Amino acid sequence: MTFARMKKGGLIAAAIASLLAAPAFAKVTVLGWPGGPEEAALRAAADTYNAKSDVSDDNKVELLFFNRDGFWDKLQADLAAGSTAFDVNLLATYSIGRYAPFMEPVTLSDEAKSVYGDQVLTTMQYEGEQFGVPTDLSLHFMYYRKDLIEALLKDDAAKARFAEISEKHLGKKLEPKTPDEWTWDDYAATALYFTQAVNPDSPTRYGTVLQLKNLLFNMMVFQSLPRAYGANWMDDAGKITVDSEAYRKGLETYKMLYDAGASPRDSLSYEYAEANAAYASGQVAAMVQWNAAASELMSKDKSPAVGEVTEAIAPPAGPEGRFTHIHGLGFGLNKNAANKEGAKAFISWLSSKEAALVYARNSGAPALTPDVVTEVAAERPDLVKLGEFAGKYGYVMNGGTSAKALSVYELQAKEFTGYWSGQQSLDDALKNTEKGMSDLLK
Amino acid sequence: MTTKTHRSPVSEFRLLTIPLVVFLLVFLGFPAIVNLVYSVSEVSFETLRRPEITGFGNFAAVWSDAAFWRASWFSFRFGLLTAVLECALGLFLAIFLAPLLERRSWLMAILMLPLMVAPALVGLMYRLVLHEFAGPVPYYLWAWFGASLSFLGPGSAFWTLIVVETLQWTPFAFLLFYMAYQAIPREIIEASSMDGARYHHRLWYIELPLMTPTIVVALLIRFIDGFRVFDNVYVLTGSGPGGSTASLSIYIYEAFFKQGAIGKAVAASVILFAASFAVLYGLNAIAARRKGATR
Repeated sequence: MTFARMKKGGLIAAAIASLLAAPAFAKVTVLGWPGGPEEAALRAAADTYNAKSDVSDDNKVELLFFNRDGFWDKLQADLAAGSTAFDVNLLATYSIGRYAPFMEPVTLSDEAKSVYGDQVLTTMQYEGEQFGVPTDLSLHFMYYRKDLIEALLKDDAAKARFAEISEKHLGKKLEPKTPDEWTWDDYAATALYFTQAVNPDSPTRYGTVLQLKNLLFNMMVFQSLPRAYGANWMDDAGKITVDSEAYRKGLETYKMLYDAGASPRDSLSYEYAEANAAYASGQVAAMVQWNAAASELMSKDKSPAVGEVTEAIAPPAGPEGRFTHIHGLGFGLNKNAANKEGAKAFISWLSSKEAALVYARNSGAPALTPDVVTEVAAERPDLVKLGEFAGKYGYVMNGGTSAKALSVYELQAKEFTGYWSGQQSLDDALKNTEKGMSDLLK
Repeated sequence: MTTKTHRSPVSEFRLLTIPLVVFLLVFLGFPAIVNLVYSVSEVSFETLRRPEITGFGNFAAVWSDAAFWRASWFSFRFGLLTAVLECALGLFLAIFLAPLLERRSWLMAILMLPLMVAPALVGLMYRLVLHEFAGPVPYYLWAWFGASLSFLGPGSAFWTLIVVETLQWTPFAFLLFYMAYQAIPREIIEASSMDGARYHHRLWYIELPLMTPTIVVALLIRFIDGFRVFDNVYVLTGSGPGGSTASLSIYIYEAFFKQGAIGKAVAASVILFAASFAVLYGLNAIAARRKGATR
């Protein structure tokens, strides 16, 4: 081979290599939560953003989706490996601390505070810095059968039976109340009354359905009960406070209900889907469940047995008030983003009122302030309740956004389900949880 | 004039094995070394590239962790019980159905169907089938008896998992045994019949001894598969209330991903590797001794 031919070949190879190496055009890649309403909402938001005249071709948004199974583990591995496959990634309240080392704080639009409110913005904060836009909020509702409760409230004989049952199981005579006035004891008494194992005349097989599978998300559903009695993960000095009367009360209430048969025997393997199926069968009177279930449980098409007679309110109250555990999904900035400026611009826009309304109108679940939510109230009445409950009753436990928050929920799931299933005592469960949390949150 | 180079068979062998050696070094050796380093290090997702070697603390943590021993005991019991049940059922079916299958070989395809389903999907399927309000089994139990069993409750979850695993993998054992049964020379069977051997004598003194090597291999394969179970158990019950249905694989997975205790998870897998190696080495030694004794 002559030198000239070698040179020519080399030049061609270099040209091909440079063509392959250069991207067709720069873009902002957004990694979203696949399937479900979040994906539909994100697609609509991205389309709106890309159609804006002031967004250059270099900064158009492209979407990327992993499978839901193992999503957070895969994201963790990708972020830790310094992936540049996405510029903006999904973020959850309980995982901010875990991903924060691989992400950058973001600056939201000037409208963000008036669109979401301080309480909701905290779901995307870690160590005082904002790491994302809170696009979807999850909290819990108390779903109940209004037909059953109304019948109970009208029937004197039923009220007497109710008092008898509450005295036997809770040690005090209680009267049936409307669910808006329920304390956790009222909820427990109602659940027992509507349980055939306790009250053979009950129209439903079970009074409630508890999600007791050893799963971190089930612990989120549980937290609002002890929280109403003043529970927190740790005090301001960082001391773990889980071995408390408040947690004791919550754990004992669940165990009493499970042991009495007020929740299906297989509840220890139940999570979101199983609980919904149980409630939708018409054999359950009330349950605490994620707000996302509203569209399913309150629809006569999707849940013919209960859709028209189901109401959703905030979870019951305790001595410290009424609480609902909130956590958000949102979008933050990958530290290794290839198009960081484009990503920042998209995140800023995503926190604007325009984006929030597009997101809300397309199945998303942003918790919006009363002024903003009125603009979509006709199309999304559920968002009115979401925003109201988040503002009034929403809370995040101390340490709930820390790097080990997920591990804390995992630990609680293991220890608490161990107690509920009768494999260990309450004292051991609380002692083990406190010790584990001390190691995790030190 | 050309010179022809002759290589010895040994050097040719070495040359040809280079790709395999490189493959093993890259895909097995490197991860093994990394794992050994992680097992004696303080390491997290943030420090994967710069683990801090801290000694044998991870091994001590695993060794003193009641959950590790509980998971080991679960895996051992699960592996042993499912292996025995699958082999017993597979053997029974292989012998019982052999005459039928000789005439209707297409039935084999139906019997093999459970093997075609991914274990995670099997878990998902039974999660639905056994659900009190959506599943057909509890539905009919309620309809006929006014009550239903708690299939996945604390007292029954283990046995439900055993049944699910056995139903899926019995066809595998059946396939091996059927092939071994078919391979028994017909002349031996005919000769024993002519000598007046009855059916159970033939089974006990001729067929089963001839099938013994296959039975041992099937038991071993099924035990290993059952011991390392993950998919269907994880989908059906997770690690169970209080970790009661956590197998060793689930224990390691949860330590690694859920707790972020990478060093501890890797230390557990190193202990598992060492234990497996010791058991297999022991079995190999016993087999070699028996082979020597029969010569």
